[in-house]
Parts: sequence; structure tokens; C-alpha cells
Amino acid sequence: MVLLFLLIAAETELAEKALGILNRNCYSCHGSAAMAGLRLDRPEGLEDAIVVPGKPDQSRLWLMMNGKGRAMMPPTGKLAPGDLAAVREWIKAGAKWPVASGKAPLAKWWAFEPVKSFSAPGRGEGWARNEVDRFIAAKLEEKGLKPAREADRRTLVRRVSFDLTGLPPARAEVEEFERDEKPGAYERMVERYLSSKHYGEKWGKHWLDLVRYGDTAGFEQDPYTLYAWRYRDYVIESFNADKPYNVFVKEQLAGDELFEDPQQQQGTGYFAVGPNRDMLYKVEDINRIESLTDFTDTTASVFLGLTVGCARCHDHKYDPIPQRDYYRLQAVFAPFQKTRIFLHYNNARSHDLGEVTRQFKQYDIGAELIRLKTPYFERMKAERLSRLSAAVQEAFAAPEEKRTAEQKALHDAHMKEVNPTDGEIWKVLDDRDRDKLEALKNRLLGMYANYGPGPFAPGVTDVGREAPRTYVPGKGTAYGEEVKPGFLTALGGGEIAEPPLDSATTRRRAALAEWIARGENPLTARVMVNRIWQYHFGRGIVATASDFGMRGSEPTHPELLDWLAGEFVKRGWSVKAMHRLMLHSATYRQASNRGDGPNEYLSGFNRRRLEAEEVRDAMLQVAGTMNPKMGGKPVVPELSNEELYGMSQPAGNAWPVTMDRAEHARRSIYMLAKRTYRMPMLEVLDRPEGVLSCARRESSTTATQSLGLLNSKFTVEQAEALGKLAPERGWQSVFQREMTGEEAVMVKEFLARQTELLGSEQKARRELMRGLLNTNEFLYVD
Amino acid sequence: MSATRRQFFLDAGKGFGSLALASMVAGAAEQARAKRVIYLFMHGGVSHVDTFDPKPELTKRSGEVLPGSFGQGLITSRIDFRKALMRGSPWKFERAGEGGLEISDLFSHIRKQADKIAVIRSCHGDAFDHAPAIYLRTSGSQFPGRPSLGAWSVYGLGSENENLPSFVVMSDGAMKSGAGAYGSGYLPARYQGTVFRSGASPVLHLEAPEGVSREAQKTTLELIGKMNRGYGANREGDSTLEARMASYELAYRMQAEAPEVVDLAKESAATKKLYGIGEPMTDDFGRKCLLARRLVERGVRFVQLYSGTNLGDDWDDAHNDLLGSHNKMAKKSDLPVAGLLADLAGRGLLDSTLVVWGSEFGRTPLAEGKNGRDHHPYGFSMWMAGAGIVGGRALGATDEFGLRAVEDKKDVHDLHATMFRLLGMDHTEVTYRFQGRDMRLTDVHGQGEFTAWLRGGSK
Repeated sequence: MVLLFLLIAAETELAEKALGILNRNCYSCHGSAAMAGLRLDRPEGLEDAIVVPGKPDQSRLWLMMNGKGRAMMPPTGKLAPGDLAAVREWIKAGAKWPVASGKAPLAKWWAFEPVKSFSAPGRGEGWARNEVDRFIAAKLEEKGLKPAREADRRTLVRRVSFDLTGLPPARAEVEEFERDEKPGAYERMVERYLSSKHYGEKWGKHWLDLVRYGDTAGFEQDPYTLYAWRYRDYVIESFNADKPYNVFVKEQLAGDELFEDPQQQQGTGYFAVGPNRDMLYKVEDINRIESLTDFTDTTASVFLGLTVGCARCHDHKYDPIPQRDYYRLQAVFAPFQKTRIFLHYNNARSHDLGEVTRQFKQYDIGAELIRLKTPYFERMKAERLSRLSAAVQEAFAAPEEKRTAEQKALHDAHMKEVNPTDGEIWKVLDDRDRDKLEALKNRLLGMYANYGPGPFAPGVTDVGREAPRTYVPGKGTAYGEEVKPGFLTALGGGEIAEPPLDSATTRRRAALAEWIARGENPLTARVMVNRIWQYHFGRGIVATASDFGMRGSEPTHPELLDWLAGEFVKRGWSVKAMHRLMLHSATYRQASNRGDGPNEYLSGFNRRRLEAEEVRDAMLQVAGTMNPKMGGKPVVPELSNEELYGMSQPAGNAWPVTMDRAEHARRSIYMLAKRTYRMPMLEVLDRPEGVLSCARRESSTTATQSLGLLNSKFTVEQAEALGKLAPERGWQSVFQREMTGEEAVMVKEFLARQTELLGSEQKARRELMRGLLNTNEFLYVD
Repeated sequence: MSATRRQFFLDAGKGFGSLALASMVAGAAEQARAKRVIYLFMHGGVSHVDTFDPKPELTKRSGEVLPGSFGQGLITSRIDFRKALMRGSPWKFERAGEGGLEISDLFSHIRKQADKIAVIRSCHGDAFDHAPAIYLRTSGSQFPGRPSLGAWSVYGLGSENENLPSFVVMSDGAMKSGAGAYGSGYLPARYQGTVFRSGASPVLHLEAPEGVSREAQKTTLELIGKMNRGYGANREGDSTLEARMASYELAYRMQAEAPEVVDLAKESAATKKLYGIGEPMTDDFGRKCLLARRLVERGVRFVQLYSGTNLGDDWDDAHNDLLGSHNKMAKKSDLPVAGLLADLAGRGLLDSTLVVWGSEFGRTPLAEGKNGRDHHPYGFSMWMAGAGIVGGRALGATDEFGLRAVEDKKDVHDLHATMFRLLGMDHTEVTYRFQGRDMRLTDVHGQGEFTAWLRGGSK
């Protein structure tokens, strides 16, 4: 009896050990996710020669684990010899399941586990200012590192100003902070920038990078996505209002299903501002699939930090995302249709009516113009032709399809010269016709006297209560296996219920939005606080901000990440509360004097180059030329022909320069964001293309970048504006500090030399400013 | 030069990733012949059945509809494969060189170089509109946002000349795809193509602002240098700051070197003639081809040349006028391309330079309207030369009407894998981590490499 008991105990121990190994290494995919149809977390899953009791060498599991099967498993690398031996022994002993339980627990990948509640460790005495620092201090101590000293006040205010608003502080703001001796000076300073309206412009840009925002759709015609900018403004306003992040998520994913207020519904512009090629003929089905793919991949990436894209074609190789799950998620979007959201119902209706009436009237104006000019056109053309050779005249007289190759060449060569332009015709109109033209012009102008964008926002809704079916390709029927909408198995799974009978939509996106935006979702809060951390510290606690899967980086400070995620939810999903936690910390206030290491434990601040838009905006700001106007339709600034090179359409349509030049000096976020073309200055400074979600920008250094910063008309114009100030004042504006004595000498010598070379002191001053705008001190946040 | 500065020059060209790659691909490099690429891209779509893929059966049955089920499953935007009529080529084909490769009269000059080129007659894709097809041919994906072939190449290979960009693009202006065709996608911006213009200021913003002499520019640069040294003095060890200082020095040297590259004055009259420079039809593309040679001579890794533009003439005018458009576009590029091949060979550069000629797709063997041909991605031709390739031969075939690639089918990934191999790289090993995946140019494809065949071996 005792012997039997001991035997069972030994078997159980062996089984528990082996299954523990499988649990840690296999169940994340081959647990409830059942990748490739395989489950190793219950006895029946081992049937079918997966495990042949007593015979490891005939067991597919054993072969795969040793690279002798169809693939090497686990894909992350062969198990340790000890673990392998334990599994072999277990199979040899009959691969029995532990007696106590029939089922092993689910695998644990930290990011799919609930957010844990930690309290800050009691470390960092004398240095720590808040809980953030205590977590950081604990890790620093563990790694034998010491925090850096606190940065000086000028550095801090400049850092906070750039990080929160994307702009340098004014000289006066620096002085005010430097002088403020009262307690809480730093916190007051942070508050100033947090409440600035420019805050939303900076943090909105981060979000627009993530949601691959663009004002045009891309591809050859690169057509405008009308009113895309309403979504851009919605994002900026949402950040400025510190809209709770869970609400922000819900508005974007399902604003149409969850909210009555059109201001909230316009969040669904998220789906409408991506790339698409709807306009192409005969490929509607391909385009629909591309859109669904874009929605599925982007949504998982932005809101959950998961790369589900791999599972579109096969079970995910690294994460527990089977192909079925991918299509369950895609089914959520299957009923989508693009729509216009009426921001004000009556105004929208009357705008539409006006538009239709206007168009109707214009047909008549067009016809009248042709009637007016045709006699002149014919007369002038005949006159001009009569002066040319007989051969040319014949070429023009011949009907197009009957022209010989030679005649065609002659015709093409003389076309411009023979056919009068409209401008030439208007000049020679007789008095009566001139009056007619004048009348037409006035009529046309009258139609546009109060013209402006209508109160519409782009968005999506569903085609109705019934959705088109979704299939997993290549499985089951000719279409594949039909799947119902649902959530990722690795995160608990679950089906989405049928909508009520009277519902106008499928309510699938509503269900997804609620599921993502609940506090218990292990990823939502973690992913967002990590993004905020990354934008402040240069690197996320999880370095791969949009990949919390098994191929992503593991968190450097897992407890801190969970603590922040917990606080985020507790504090009502307030993004600004997170800024305060991070910016108030001693960690953030460290000086950035350090070498080249990755600095993942933050024994100092990570110096960073200004982002593309920050460079342009900062130049405008310090030159005093910036137009601070917010929102509205995109601005198209003037660029040189060389800069416009490579555009797919004539610049007149593709880059229609905004007539009001004062608009050209607005912040970069308001400049037209085309998909097939980026302003060269922003492009060379790593502005993303806006086609795929961008979680973290590159920060490259190239010679073409330096050439642009040095020689572009934009830089010269800003330097000219700055050069109008006295050199000391210009210097203060650029660097927000006084010159040192040594620098004053250098500047004096420079001005003398350049005045000699350029023949004017004014030009020398401009050169000084052009130089300063190209310095590391200006281009880096220290 | 300090260690970190030197590092910048390495990194500026090679990219951080490629330092690691260098050792990884060392083995492959031994058999690599090519160090540089000139990619001649015919913008708009060149008809294969009128250039490199003779179809006597098509000519014989010109004017008939396709028999049986030949047209089933084929779509393009403008013609109906059930109703459109077959149209034989209006150009004559001739065998040329020792290899007896058949090339039409459209490319009578390239035909004289037939023994240098290997034609792939079995290219195929599934994008039948320009922008997606251009993205597909250059990045392996119909969707924009992925790095282009040139960007991947310089990411993998690094630079040979620190004073010039490693990836240079010359186009006639507007691309139907926009600049994405030579973009760096998710790779850092340093890998994107730099547009070269033929004027005195080839690179954007190369020239100092108006009225600023070279001496004045130098004085301003010295000021920047001084300021940066002061700033860097108490921020030791930050290589990014040093890299930026170096980038200004490089910019200054580029200001000196780039205009010299585009100055063709020192080229002999005979060389210019070889490229058709001075002749009205060939002058423009001839200059670009000659410039391409000068660039690869100076160590530029990847030169992407486009013939045709969305806002002027391009091969796509064949929609309405096959004869006119193809005569004109061929006339513009035939002599210059032939001249480039001859010149590279004459200077001993052809062996180390891979020349690729291609287009986004072919054109329908069926007529569009009375005089045209529509886009056709289901079977078309391209050719490759240099890099130790044994020319005078053709790989693969389309069916008797030139509709579909049927033998030794090669898609864009096979082409890219092959190009990488010729450059000494394994396409599966040049990767970049993005969105949690080790991305590569060929994605999960590229199993149909044909390097061995190109080098004279069997398929």
C-alpha cells in the first residue's frame, strides 16, 4: 500500500515536472489557442502519435523538440538538456497525466497575465521624489548603477517644454522658472506646459504616427481624403482635454455605436484616415481585403501592442495567435462602410444642398464660357496656321485618326504655338463679350462668397445589422471555414453576441471597444503607459512599444510598468496624470551627461534629437515667425520646384499652395500630410510615411539632412527674421540663454569676417543665425 | 579622426545593421561579382511581345479573339479578354550575336549587345495598375510603406564612397507611385534614394544660399563646428553628437564632389556619342546613363534610372498609341542603354556592375481600342547583364500568345533573391526588425532564385 502510494507519488512528480516544462515552453501556443490544431494541455491532445507512451523516438512531440520533425519546436530555441531529459523520461514512463488534476494550467506570458499590484520598493532614499523613482532606484542598485545629478533649471524647462509641446520655451519662461525660488516651482512649470494648447499638437502627433494618419489616400492619384483633418483636430482636442484614454479608445473604435454625440462619433475617423486605393477599377474585393487587413493589424498594434499580421496567412509562429483568431478579429470589421459624420445636422444638410445647386449652376457657366470663346479660338487658330507651312496646315486639317506619323509629329510640335490659350483669348474679347465674361465671373464669385468646408467628419459605421461572412482561407469549404467575431484566445477569448433585433449595426466594434477599454484587459493600460514612458524617456519599459508579444522585448522594470498601468486605470485613464507621475520624478530630472550605452536602467536622461516637426516648429518659434493658429484644413506651404520633384501628379493639383501666406508659417502638424510625398525637410528628419503604424521614429543623421538644414529656403528665411534682431537677442531666442564671454568674442569675429565677405552687416547677422540654427545645442533636447 | 567619427562614416553608409551583416555574408561574398547595381526602369509598362518575347502565333492570328479558355481569369482595367482581338507585333524580330537571342527592331542598338544580356521571359505579377505594380517591383509588396530594393541593397552592402549618397535616383520627374518607389519604408531615412538632377546642383539643397560664397559658407560651417565642439566638450562619449558634426563635414565635401560627378565636360566626344548625347532624342537619357556610369565608377552602390514620367511621355502612352509611344520611348533609351553596356564593358566595369532592365509589367497581346495595348502583369520580360552573367540567352517562356508565363515562372521575389545573391548577399539573412518581425525584402518568398542559370549553369 505504502509502496503503491510512493509509486503514484513518484509518477505524479515526474508528470508534474514534465508538464511544467511543456507549460512554460509550449502552452502559450498549444494550450487553449490550439495552434495548428494541437493542444498539449490535456491528455486527449497527446493522442494521434503526438506522444506514444513508452516510445519517445516514435513520439512526434519528442522529434519536434529535437529538430527532427517538420519544424523545430519551440521556435524560440531548443530546450535545456535537463528539461529535454525530463520530458523523455516522462514519455518513456508512459506519459501519464498527474493523478490529482486532469488538466494543466494555461501558459504564462507576462503580458497576457492580469496587471499585478505592486507597491513601490523602499529604495532610493534621499533621491527618490515619488514612487517611480523607488522602482528605478531598486533596479539601479541591483545593477550597481547610480543616478546622475539633477539637470540645471534651463535644461529642465527646455526639456519639459519640448517634451510636452514640441516647442522651445520662450526666454522669459526660462527666466521665470530660474527665478522661482518658492517650493513647487518645478511642478508649476510642468503644469504651464501641460495646460498649453500646444500640448495637444505635440501628443496628437505621436498618436497620428500610430494611426498612420494622412490627408490623402495614396497610390497614383493620391486623392484627398476630404475632412481627414477633422480627425486630426479631434485627436489634438482629445489630448488637450485630457479625455480619459478608455473613452478615447471607444470613440475611435466604435464611436458610431456607443455615443450619440457626433463629436465623439468622429473618433471613427481612425478607420478613414489610413491609406486606401478604393478608386481602382475591378479590384474592389482586393481593396476591401486590404482595408480589413489594415484595420485588423493597426488596431491590434495600436491598442493592444500585438503584431497579429503574421497570423493572416498562418498560425503566428511566436505568439499564441492562431490564424482562426486573426479572422475572428477581422470579422469585427467585416461589416464596415465608410461614412460622413454630420457634426451639425442642419448645417450639413444645407451645405450639401448648396453644393448640389452650385454644381448645377456651374454646368451652365461652363457651357457659356465655351460659347463665348469658341469663335475667338477658331479665328486666332486660323490666323496663326495661315502663317505656317502648307505641310503643317495639312497636318492640322487631317482628322486625328487619319494623320500619318509625320503629320502627327508636326501636329504635336506646333500644337502649343497654334492653339490660343484662354488668357490670350480673354485679352482680345470685344466689349460685348468682355461684359459677358465679367458677368460670368461675378456669378461664379457670388457662389463662393461664403464657401468653406462643410460640417462633416470622415468615419465608419456598419452596412447594417447583418455582416458579410468571414472565412479562414484554405480551410473547410471552397471559401474556407466560416468564423464568428470574437476576441483573442490568448487574452481569454470569447464570442461576440448577436446584436439586438432592432440594432442598426452589428455592434461588433462596440463589443471589441468595450473589451479593449476595460481595466482588466492586461494589455491596454500597459501598452499606453509604456508609450507615454517611451516618448518621455526615449525608450519604453518595453522597448518594442507596439510588440508586447514573445518576440518583443521584455520589460526592464516589470513592476514599475504594472504599477503605472494600475495607476493609469485608478486615476481615470488620465494621460496627463501619467505625465505628472513621470515628469515629477527625480528620474526624469537627471542630467543627460552620459556615454553611448543603451541606458535602459536610466542612470541619466536620454538626450534626443528634435523630431522632424519639432525642428521646423522650433525654427519658426525662435524666429518669431510662427503662426499659432490651431486646427482646420491642411495648409500647403510654398516649396521650390526642386523640392516638389517626384510627385505623382501635377503640382497644381497635388500641391495647391495655400493662398494666404500667413498660413504657411503654422505648425507642421497642420501641413498637408500626403501619402506619396513628404516635405523634404521633414522626410530627411525621419517623419514616417504614414502608411504603416509607426510606434517609434528613427533618428538618423545624414549629410542630406545637414544640407537641407543649412541651405534650404526655409532655414534662410528664419535666419533672416532672426537676423533683424540684435545678435545678442537672436542668440537668446535660439538658445534661451546669454552668450558667454568667449562666445561673444567668437560672434564678434564671425560677424566682422562675414561682413567683409558678404559686404553687409545685415547679411552677416543672417549668417550668424543660420549657423546657430544648425548647432547641436539647438537641435538636441538635453 | 576620432574613433566615433570614423564610426559615423562607416555607419553613414553601411548602416548599423550591415556591420553585423558583413560577417554574416562573408561566405557568399566570395562568389559575388557585382558590387553595384544600375537598374533601368521603363516607367509605364513596356510591351513584351513587341520587344524581347517574339510570338509568331500571335501575329498569325492577329485580329482573332483568343481561342478557348485562354483569357479566363485575366483582368486588366481596360480590356475584356473574351472580346478583345489579338494583335501581332508591328515590329520585326531578329536573332543577334552568338547566342542568337531574338530582339525586335525597337531595340536595334541593344540587340547589338545581345550577347551581354540574359532575358527573363517568364516574369509575372498580379498588380495591373501602375502604382501598386511599381511598389511590387521595387519593394516586393503592392502596398507602399516597405523599403525599396535600393534601400535594402545599401542597408545590406554599405557605401563605398562617403562623399556621395549610396543610393541615387534619376527620374524624369513624376512617378506614378510618387517617391515611395525609392523610399526607405521602415528602414532609417539614411537608406532612401537621393534624387540626382542633371543640372549643376544635382542634390537637393546642395548649393549654398544665394549670395553666399564658398568662403562665406565655410566660415558659417566653421562657426557651427566651433559651437558643436563647445557643446560636445562636456557631453563626452555621445556618438550621435559627433556623428552630426561629421555629417556637416560630409555635406561640405558633397558640395565639392557632387557637381564634379555631374560635369560631363571631361568625357570624350566618342563617349558622348556612344550614349547619344547631343542628339535631340537621346540626349536626356544618354546623360543619365553616362552619369550612372560615373556614379558607379565612384562607388555609388545603387543607381535607379527611370525612363518616362507621369506628366510627360512614358511607355504607358501605349494605351492609345502603341506604335507612336513605343517608337518614341525606345528611340529615347535604346542607344543610351546600349552605349552604357558597351562603355561599362570597355572600361572593365561590367563584371562588377549588375545592370537590370525592366518595367512594372508588360502589355496585353490583345489590342486596346484600335491602336493600343493595356497593362499586362501575367507574363512579361526583363533582362539582366554584367555581374558575371552569361548573356545571349533567355530564361522561361510565356504561352504561344504571350499571355501567361508558363515555363520557369519568376516573380519579383525570385528576381530580388537573385539580385541579392549576385551582390553577395543571402536574401533570407538581410533582415530588419519591425513591428515584431524580422522583415526582409523577399518576405517569405524568393525560393525561385536563378543565379546559377544566369552564370551559365542549368536551371
